[in-house]
Amino acid sequence: MDEKQARINQILETRGKFRSLDVQAGEGYEDEKFPEPSPRFTKLMDIYYVMKNTIDMEYPYWYNRVWWQNDGDLPEIRRAKAESAALTHMTPTIWPDELLVMNKTKNWRGAFCFPWVDASFFNAQAEALMNEADAPALSESDKMSVVAAGGGNVTKSYGNVVSIAQKFGLRKEEVPVLVKVAKYWDNCSVEVKTQQYSELLPEYKKYKAYRDSVLVMFDSWAIPQGREVMNYYLPLEYGFDRLSELCDEKIDEGLGKVEHGDGLLGMSRGYYYIAMKEIIHGLSQWAENYSKKAAQLASIEKDPRQKSDYEDIQIVMHNIAHKQPQSFREALQLTLLLHFATVNEDPQSGQSIGRLGQILDPFYEKDLREGKITEEEAIELLELYRIKITSIECFASSGVTGGVLSGNTFNNLGVGGLNYEGMSAVTPLEYLIVEAAGRAKTTQPTISVLYDEKLPEDFLLKCARVTKMGFGFPAYMNNQTGMNFMIRHYGEEGMGIEDARAWMLGGCLESSPGCFQPLHYDGKVTWIPGGAGPTAGTGVHFTGLPKLLELVLTNGVDKRTGIKVFEPHGHKLDTFEDLWAAWTEYLHECIEVSLKVNNIQMDVWGKMNPPVVTSLLKPDCFTKGQIETRMGARYMGTHNFESCGTVTFINAMTSLRKNVYDEKKYTLDEMVDAMLHNFGFKTAFETGVFSPDHREATELAPKYEKIFYDCVNAPKFGNADPYADQQMVDYQNHMTPYLYSLQSCYGTDYYMCQISVSTHGPQGAITLADAGGRLAGTTYSDGSVSAAAATDKNGIYAVFESATCYDHSRNQNAQMNVKIHPSAVKGAAGTRKLLDVIRAYMRRGGFHVQFNITSSQTLKAAQAKPEEYRDLMVRVAGFTQYWCEIGKPIQDEVIYRTEYDH
Amino acid sequence: MKHCDCANFLSLDCEKGMCALDKAIVPLDGEGSFACPRFKEGYLCKFCSNFHDPDDHGIGTCTGFEKPEWAYAGCGAFTCEHFVRASELEAVSE
Repeated sequence: MDEKQARINQILETRGKFRSLDVQAGEGYEDEKFPEPSPRFTKLMDIYYVMKNTIDMEYPYWYNRVWWQNDGDLPEIRRAKAESAALTHMTPTIWPDELLVMNKTKNWRGAFCFPWVDASFFNAQAEALMNEADAPALSESDKMSVVAAGGGNVTKSYGNVVSIAQKFGLRKEEVPVLVKVAKYWDNCSVEVKTQQYSELLPEYKKYKAYRDSVLVMFDSWAIPQGREVMNYYLPLEYGFDRLSELCDEKIDEGLGKVEHGDGLLGMSRGYYYIAMKEIIHGLSQWAENYSKKAAQLASIEKDPRQKSDYEDIQIVMHNIAHKQPQSFREALQLTLLLHFATVNEDPQSGQSIGRLGQILDPFYEKDLREGKITEEEAIELLELYRIKITSIECFASSGVTGGVLSGNTFNNLGVGGLNYEGMSAVTPLEYLIVEAAGRAKTTQPTISVLYDEKLPEDFLLKCARVTKMGFGFPAYMNNQTGMNFMIRHYGEEGMGIEDARAWMLGGCLESSPGCFQPLHYDGKVTWIPGGAGPTAGTGVHFTGLPKLLELVLTNGVDKRTGIKVFEPHGHKLDTFEDLWAAWTEYLHECIEVSLKVNNIQMDVWGKMNPPVVTSLLKPDCFTKGQIETRMGARYMGTHNFESCGTVTFINAMTSLRKNVYDEKKYTLDEMVDAMLHNFGFKTAFETGVFSPDHREATELAPKYEKIFYDCVNAPKFGNADPYADQQMVDYQNHMTPYLYSLQSCYGTDYYMCQISVSTHGPQGAITLADAGGRLAGTTYSDGSVSAAAATDKNGIYAVFESATCYDHSRNQNAQMNVKIHPSAVKGAAGTRKLLDVIRAYMRRGGFHVQFNITSSQTLKAAQAKPEEYRDLMVRVAGFTQYWCEIGKPIQDEVIYRTEYDH
Repeated sequence: MKHCDCANFLSLDCEKGMCALDKAIVPLDGEGSFACPRFKEGYLCKFCSNFHDPDDHGIGTCTGFEKPEWAYAGCGAFTCEHFVRASELEAVSE
């Protein structure tokens, strides 16, 4: 190290008390290589790559058994008993070379069904399942979702394995168990009850038409939790034994007692603590079971190193079953246990880990100081942690699993942001978390950098180095914009500046409220951040804005299915303003009807299946003595409207404005005729290619050649063209106040969420050609402020200028996907260039940017020969997934995204 | 008996598992799925003295708890508080 470098490091250490492992400067600096991951990681990943997604019946069997044994008990207590029994009766599995243990089930990529949430899927197929025949017709959404054939997906039945939801394998001998359990819930699942009460709505037929036309493609009951942020505080602070004692104390002092006239709510406190005691027992015993398993394995193990590993696991699991963790490894293992318990509570995705490097730093720093752990040992644990999170699977129908999630479960880990005092929150452990991500090639957890000008430069450069590796993460979120949204939206619920600093993404991009809590450890108090609200990813979800425009132009009739989705709007559409008025009227009707259904869904779920693990962990549930869905959490205003295809819609409107209304090149009838005939091209379903750039002409093509040319060449969002950008401004200006006039089942205001996840595939598939020149069946634009693929002609900074034409802090998020050729960011100068690009966008107020740093050529090669690219990862929309495990429509769309190479 | 019935079997997925003794990946079906001489009966309901009268699908009755309930033969019982190995019980009674 030269003198200059030494001085730089000295200054950095003075500023931030930590040092960088690898950031160097000066001549000859090459930043291309991270060290190889640990041998343990490599061995375990070799197994992971050949694992099949598997469901088994241990959890559902025990849940079902104990639930019905407690028929008549109070819902929260009955639920806690059922969950506790299920957790504690699952077979614990520990594989050689593991240091961190536990899984959702006994299988590596294991999951299970939740018939108490959704039984119709199985009951409808009971006979077919029993006959091992092909499943009968799926729902409309399921038909439109193509689950990838590669990787760990079990897309077809074979041998003694039955494919469930085109993704999971179930052993044939367990099919009768599944069918038997599902029958119990035939008339009393959350799905059935929400439907039963929703059908009483006078507008229910309208809602059904929205769903059948796939204008709206999500039911909140299907994944009622997730898209929120974990909070590990209570078990980290107290340990399970002390928490159980606290429950006893609370029961003694509070059962049967109301305070300050809180009546029924006050009465529920006692029952809450009884339920919490049940689930705490279950969590503790679940850990103890792994300790017992480790002891058994140690007793038969001949290899001294492996035997020692099992013995260590036995001690760690026993300790965390009872006490506050006393080491970094114990603390990390405890957070894993809590994470698995939470994702086992309901079908869910997007259960964010939160800012783990800030939460666990006190444990790491103590161990490091006392010589109990080295940096390399900590990195190894973090690499192994990545395998555990990557292996989390979610069982849902294929419409949700493939169409919405692309098979991903969105476990998001945040770094950066500000601490309780308003200073950079980056910790030494966060450097290691980023380092482990650079070494250990895994899809999860995805990493989100809460970008703030106060963050250390070397930390940001380290993050950029990982981003350059093409994993699609870290992604970058604007900390100040996020905080502004928090205060804007949660101010009414009392959020101040400190809690605003604790925000984090729930799921991929659902900004979620948080809070800091005082962890007493290592003789000091550390204010650690964590989630403080319920799911921030439910509400009126995945409304296809381009589809809605299509329905305006077809006067409410879905030409694909013949379904009358809306009554005729009665507008002449002879002015652009009239077109906009018709569109907003349909939008309002769609949202307001869907909102009522969603409110029923979430309310019925909360009453029937009160979340008990979540209600133990989320502040202020334990303080108030209230289940989360009974207004227990600190911030409840998390429900929202979620759009899909924003920029496709903006481009279509802009083209109509220009070609029909301003320049009057075509009449609206001529435009609609061209769209109905797909401008003379074959549809995506006819060609089997979903990328917007693929065009196969029919004999009608010459007739529509000119109008197609004018539509394709109309102004497009993403080129810093005010003509197109103004449409986005008008849209945003309309939505913010409108959504704030709507209320969730918790009586809190709505707001806008703008992420498509993977729905731009299936929703694009059911949408005709549009006036922006997109052909029928091809995917919508990804994200919410990225330019539609190949329509941005003026470079990346023009995209940024368009994207920031409105204030991003008025919404929960704004999503920007950028694809860069690796050659554009090569070497140390390239890392700096990438950070400059990120910084330029953040300084303009952009909320989020993420990158695919890969070439289209590589992706096309991987599409042709997936078996040769098993570990290739791409960023889709807020999450990273193995290429071979995403559906073809989304693969096509990612290939086609504009690629910046300079 | 098969590998998956053995106490040394570690589940992996719907088609394979691992032997805890030699760390080999073993299939659940077909060739190679049958247990070796080191077989030791595992922890499954079907090996429990409280599991009775399984039908053709392996669904029987569990009498180990206060109230009898249906149960299935292949369910793991490593953590069950009332698991009593039938073969051990038989050995004692003999």
